[in-house]
Amino acid sequence: MRTRARQPGRRAARSVAAAVAALAVAVGLAACANGIEGPVEATGAKVELENKASGTLVISNWPLYIDKKTVPNFEKATGINVEYHEDINSNEEFFNKMQPQLSAGESGGRSIFVLADYMVAKMIKLGYLQELDKEALPEVEANLSQSLRHPPFDPERNYSVPWQSGMTGIIVNKELAPEVHSICDLFNPKYKGKVDFLNEVREAVPLVMKCEGVDTEKATEADWMRAIEKIQSAAAEGQIRRFTGNDYAQDLTNGNAVAVMGWSGDAVQLQADNPNLEWRMPTEGCMLWSEDMIIPVGAPNPTAAEAFMNYVYKPEVQANITEYVNYVSPVEGVQEILVKREPELGNNHLIFPSASFTKNCSPTPTLEGEEEKNVIKAFDEVLNG
Amino acid sequence: MSATPATAPGRGALSAETGAARAWRWLREHAVNIVAVLVVIYLLVPIVVIFVFSFNNPAGRYNFTWVGFTLTHWAHPFSDSELAKAMLTSIKLALLATVVSTVIGTMMAIALVRHRFVGRRIANFLIVIPMATPEVVMGASLLSFFLILGSPALGFTTLLIAHVMFCISFVVVVVRSRLIGFDRSLEEAAKDLGATPFETFRLITLPLIMPGIFGGAMLAFALSIDDFVISNFNAGTTVTFPLYIFGAAQRGIPVEVYVVAMILFFFTVAAMGLVTWQQRRAERMTAIRPEQEESDIALPGIA
Amino acid sequence: MAAALRRRSLAYFLLAPGTLWLVVFFVIPLYFMAKLSLDTEIPGTLHYRFVWEWSNYKEALELYDTQFVRSFIYAGIATLLCLLIAYPLAYVIAFKAGRWRNLMLFAVVAPFFTTYLVRTLAWETILSDESPVTEFLHAIGLAPGGHILATGFAVIAGITYNFLPFMVLPLYASLERIDVRVLEASKDLYASAASTFWKVTLPLSLPGVVAGTLLTFIPAVGDYVNAQFLGGVNNRMIGNVIQSLYLTQSDYPAAAALSFVLMAVIMIVVFVYIRFAGSEALMGQEAA
Repeated sequence: MRTRARQPGRRAARSVAAAVAALAVAVGLAACANGIEGPVEATGAKVELENKASGTLVISNWPLYIDKKTVPNFEKATGINVEYHEDINSNEEFFNKMQPQLSAGESGGRSIFVLADYMVAKMIKLGYLQELDKEALPEVEANLSQSLRHPPFDPERNYSVPWQSGMTGIIVNKELAPEVHSICDLFNPKYKGKVDFLNEVREAVPLVMKCEGVDTEKATEADWMRAIEKIQSAAAEGQIRRFTGNDYAQDLTNGNAVAVMGWSGDAVQLQADNPNLEWRMPTEGCMLWSEDMIIPVGAPNPTAAEAFMNYVYKPEVQANITEYVNYVSPVEGVQEILVKREPELGNNHLIFPSASFTKNCSPTPTLEGEEEKNVIKAFDEVLNG
Repeated sequence: MSATPATAPGRGALSAETGAARAWRWLREHAVNIVAVLVVIYLLVPIVVIFVFSFNNPAGRYNFTWVGFTLTHWAHPFSDSELAKAMLTSIKLALLATVVSTVIGTMMAIALVRHRFVGRRIANFLIVIPMATPEVVMGASLLSFFLILGSPALGFTTLLIAHVMFCISFVVVVVRSRLIGFDRSLEEAAKDLGATPFETFRLITLPLIMPGIFGGAMLAFALSIDDFVISNFNAGTTVTFPLYIFGAAQRGIPVEVYVVAMILFFFTVAAMGLVTWQQRRAERMTAIRPEQEESDIALPGIA
Repeated sequence: MAAALRRRSLAYFLLAPGTLWLVVFFVIPLYFMAKLSLDTEIPGTLHYRFVWEWSNYKEALELYDTQFVRSFIYAGIATLLCLLIAYPLAYVIAFKAGRWRNLMLFAVVAPFFTTYLVRTLAWETILSDESPVTEFLHAIGLAPGGHILATGFAVIAGITYNFLPFMVLPLYASLERIDVRVLEASKDLYASAASTFWKVTLPLSLPGVVAGTLLTFIPAVGDYVNAQFLGGVNNRMIGNVIQSLYLTQSDYPAAAALSFVLMAVIMIVVFVYIRFAGSEALMGQEAA
């Protein structure tokens, strides 16, 4: 007797496919409906750009690093079509996946990347970047903030234009660790196991060097190694709970840690929900870093890229970005605008630090050649236990 | 028989059991079920947490402490168009990768278990190595390979190739464990009744190994939708859901991410429900036929 | 003879697409990686020369033995836990679930659909130092330092959780095909429940056990994400080392060499295991 298989599997597969298609359509519609937000504003878009920049511009940036209006406004003002991709999620990973193409002179179709200054330094040395045409960047020349004009790795800013900047200091739980005011305080055994250090060698180690009284811009390899050893013994004793990226945020919020090395922009976000948390300028000073726009070799449309760089340095445009991102703006003139629009932001010293506030802060140090290799390796060994 | 008076009326040794002893016996009989339920709870606990936090209303961009209840994020889950795009890409990719890798993997499993041929050991070996390779190595080596080939179109296609590549092994292993020790007498019976080999396969073997195929497919889908490292290297400018989240995490985790994760979860629940309903319908329909023999080899359908 | 030939060509036909895919997209890239592992860098350029640089391998073995051992221990414990947790669940799904079967199978795989990072964040919340869960575990003595996160326990817990589906699904597939009548026969012959399990069910499910343990253990050894997010100092695994060699130090030859060492060690462990578990169970030497 024959029993026929009904192939319910196939039927089911078809209904699943139908369900998926339905969802895809629904999601697509939703995406369109709620897509790029808001009416395109006319403010600040009146300046004509001198070059005849045109065509398509492909940008790679980090997620959540731009507001929703800047790109559409730029497209409207210049007629350039922008493909804005948020596909950078780690400096190292991005570098590694781009490296084979860059060394062959290709950029994977992109004309702008935004990467941390130390990665930019690395790329400059490897010859992966194009020099900028300063004549196309009048707004940058006029408005770039003083403290960022001459970083050690690109003294004339020939290759990079800061996108956003920030300060690395300490974030402290005011209630649980009120007396922590310096990097050296992080080594206080009273807080054993409740302290997080950053896992980025060019931030954690210079901060510790500051604790030892070393001038980070003149540090020798021996200084670096000594600081790394200090970190190593703190880790071995259990003083340091762990080495983190920005996941210290959860440790702080949940009370797992009471004092961490942390970034100013994060603090603004954390404080909004947790007034106990406070970013403090270490008595020894902080590290001042920036994430920069760069044009890689093989970029298909460098003219349009420069037009974009110039555009975002107009204070009105930059104000929109800073309002959304809440990091330190590299453009002067933004504070005045924001103070009127959103006084809370405009007066926040974490977003607009005064020169006196950052007087002891140092830029990201450059490491080169053998010294770089040895330092990175030594720190890595501390991280890897 | 027991010293304490029976709690239940009646006679005989059974009624002499105490309440405690009865409870203990019930526990022993249902121990496995209880453990299984506990395990399911364990599996779902983080999902509950994610679900709860998707209703959170933080002022800042982090979502770690409970601030207040709101439905806004559920109302506009895709307000970030990049997030929506990433989600769609991931779903498309996972579906395609699952279909391709399941078909290929099942074929391989059948060949490896049922046939004897030269190179069998090597093939077996070939299956296991991808699982042993660190993801960084797989991702990076594949990327270099694509570049050597000179095909710069990194994007969806390269992602698909990569995903199928790492899913095949898992499908093979799962299907294979289902095929081993499979009762061949059913197939022989079919052949005796005049079925061609293909018919035998289609009507007898395939439905019976469906649980294995289904298990392999589910695993492939889950692996693909959750993949980060290999995707990161081979995606070009295409952004998948995990890639987007890792990047966004540098600035905070918007609540929308939690919402979208739950939407994906519920959608899969719905799909599963649909499949189960289809299967029950099919079973009911096959049960109508009077001459159908009620036996354990009743076609199990999907599961 | 023609039939045998047809059978053999059928085998090759079935095998072809998968083998081709794996050879082209896995083996060949890996070959290039192998070459890279014997390269040395022309300093500062990220260009390499092939010089049979075996010191890469020597260094890999010498410098990172702690992380190697740690990885195998963590992965081993996690695999064992997975087996203990997954078996009852797979058993219930296979034999007792009936109409709930699909739903339960889905519950097993469901966590994967919420993305790794979101899952881990949820666990970080659940296991944070001040959560009731942690306090409970501390009370029963499972959290000696007062905290779970940033310890090896958290890493093992994370690995176990993330690899549970890899254990459940093969176990289920294998258990499900056991004929219930065999178990009933065993009971009819006066075997106790425990005896039936040890002497009938378990041996029959052995292919699933072997498949599951391999599917769990092998990737777990190379895992790095759990250690990165849930672990503290001194909890990093060999996967983290490879990541950092690759990404932070940009020392591709060393990373490649270390990866091959890892793969080789895993292969050795796998072969020993298969020999022990009986190669039949895995390789399925049942070609008729």
